[in-house]
Amino acid sequence: MNANLRRNWLLQGVVSLGECGLFFVAVAGAVPKSLRYWRELCRQVWFVGAMSLVIVMTCGLFVGMVLALQLFNTLSIFGATSELGTAVALSLFRELGPVVTALLVAGRAGTAVTAEIGLMRATDQLDAMSMMAVDPLAYVAAPRFLAGIIAMPLLACVFNAMGIFGGHLVGVTWLGLDNGTFWGNMTSTVMLQRDILDGVYKSIVFGGVVSLIAVFQGYTAPPTSEGVAYSTTRTVVFSSIVILAFDFVMTAFMT
Amino acid sequence: MNPGVAQPESSAAALVQVRGLHTRIGAKTIFDGLDLDVPRGSVTAIMGPSGTGKTTLLRHLTGQLRPDTGSVRVDGEEVTKLSRRDLFALRERIGFLFQNSALLTDFSVFENIAFPLRQHAKLPEELLRDIVLTKLQAVGLRGAAQLMPSELSGGMARRVALARAIVFDPMLILYDEPFVGLDPIALNQVLRLIRTLNHTLGITSILVAHELAAIQKVADRVYLIANGKLVAQGAPDELARQDSPWTRQFFGGEADGPVPFHYPAPDYATELGFREAHR
Ligand SMILES: Nc1ncnc2c1ncn2[C@@H]1O[C@H](COP(=O)(O)OP(=O)(O)O)[C@@H](O)[C@H]1O
Ligand SMILES: [Mg+2]
Repeated sequence: MNANLRRNWLLQGVVSLGECGLFFVAVAGAVPKSLRYWRELCRQVWFVGAMSLVIVMTCGLFVGMVLALQLFNTLSIFGATSELGTAVALSLFRELGPVVTALLVAGRAGTAVTAEIGLMRATDQLDAMSMMAVDPLAYVAAPRFLAGIIAMPLLACVFNAMGIFGGHLVGVTWLGLDNGTFWGNMTSTVMLQRDILDGVYKSIVFGGVVSLIAVFQGYTAPPTSEGVAYSTTRTVVFSSIVILAFDFVMTAFMT
Repeated sequence: MNPGVAQPESSAAALVQVRGLHTRIGAKTIFDGLDLDVPRGSVTAIMGPSGTGKTTLLRHLTGQLRPDTGSVRVDGEEVTKLSRRDLFALRERIGFLFQNSALLTDFSVFENIAFPLRQHAKLPEELLRDIVLTKLQAVGLRGAAQLMPSELSGGMARRVALARAIVFDPMLILYDEPFVGLDPIALNQVLRLIRTLNHTLGITSILVAHELAAIQKVADRVYLIANGKLVAQGAPDELARQDSPWTRQFFGGEADGPVPFHYPAPDYATELGFREAHR
């Protein structure tokens, strides 16, 4: 790759970042108007939630199970297996719940949103709306953006619950830890403010980021089939990078 | 200015008046001083090679896109200077038929037509239903009210889109290539609707189309646009008889002419290696 092209590529990246920022301002500005379309918002929350629920529950179960298995081995070195419930719960609430849920939602609901909006653009539905004097930013973009913010923490909670259930399944039912110790140590150590709410804040931010990227990619997708396909891919790639980067930054500030 | 073309005479009866329109998109000049009048109550056809800017012109008329310079007046209002609110108010009086119908895929035919009503008028459900069914009856698709857009044929989708475009009883309808992809039967149905809407309701119509036979049946006046300018205008059969390079190519069906058959390319003999390239 020659220097010129690389600079172009970098320039392109900066330009898209700026466009995405402006798009965020435009969508945020359209949010008050979009509250008129609260039905559409409910539909989108239901859509994102229902679409991702099965995959989030399944993955939560397996993540909790594998977490218990791994942590059991580590904790038994120190003779601290009684803290297995605490360790599983903390890993889930603080880190894995928000992050893995966000990655799953980006792959499942984010791509669907991008493809849907991209097709609406390609088939002139967005233009048709503005011709009918309905602002597509308020009717299409803002409800989907808000839906991500609302649905993500709820899905993360489901993920965590399934994860703890999976951890319990492995730790207590399979490896034979004491049920009372598992729950007792967990509930006495995990703090609402420090552990659970921090995770929820992360989820809210991730929800906003994922849905903003998904809506932006759909909105700006070239109106062709390759264009829409390429934009859906970019939704997953960009979301994943941004989720993990934000996760690091937010964790650094929270601890 | 093209010498063979008379300028449209200014008249108070013009519903749409375009003056000195200049537009560039990227590096490409789309309009280079376009003037155009559409009289009230008329059907005006706009023709021109693909990519000339016919769709862009319609987007100028509705303020979806602003020209670089020039004036666009619709019903006496300067579209280029309207605020967003006034623009939306103007759009409620303009119906727009998109090239690919642009029905909302999530909604049934009925809800598609009800959509603008629900957004802008707080009507009792009973009245709303009556209006929607009246519009569907007008396009002959009352029986299809509960179908989804994916279940419609191209011609039916076009007619549903037309019903949606007239739901507010507009003063002006813009048709963007309404006949493309229709079989002859569907084409004639849409054609009949355009004529009926114009004759019985007096709706002014602007029709972007390539189908000469259809245009001759319905249009009062034809504007031929090419290279950002008006190159010919007149009544359809008058234009077909006019003898200029543009009309000859457009109406005479010649493959080569002002719009070249060959995409710009280096010299053929040189490219085949028969002749040394000039330095
Ligand atoms: N959003 C856009 N971005 C870039 N180019 C565009 C855009 N819209 C239109 N154009 C260009 O403007 C020209 C006119 O387009 P259009 O009005 O759709 O032509 P027509 O409808 O006459 O076929 C085309 O060459 C097209 O490439
Ligand atoms: Mg076009």
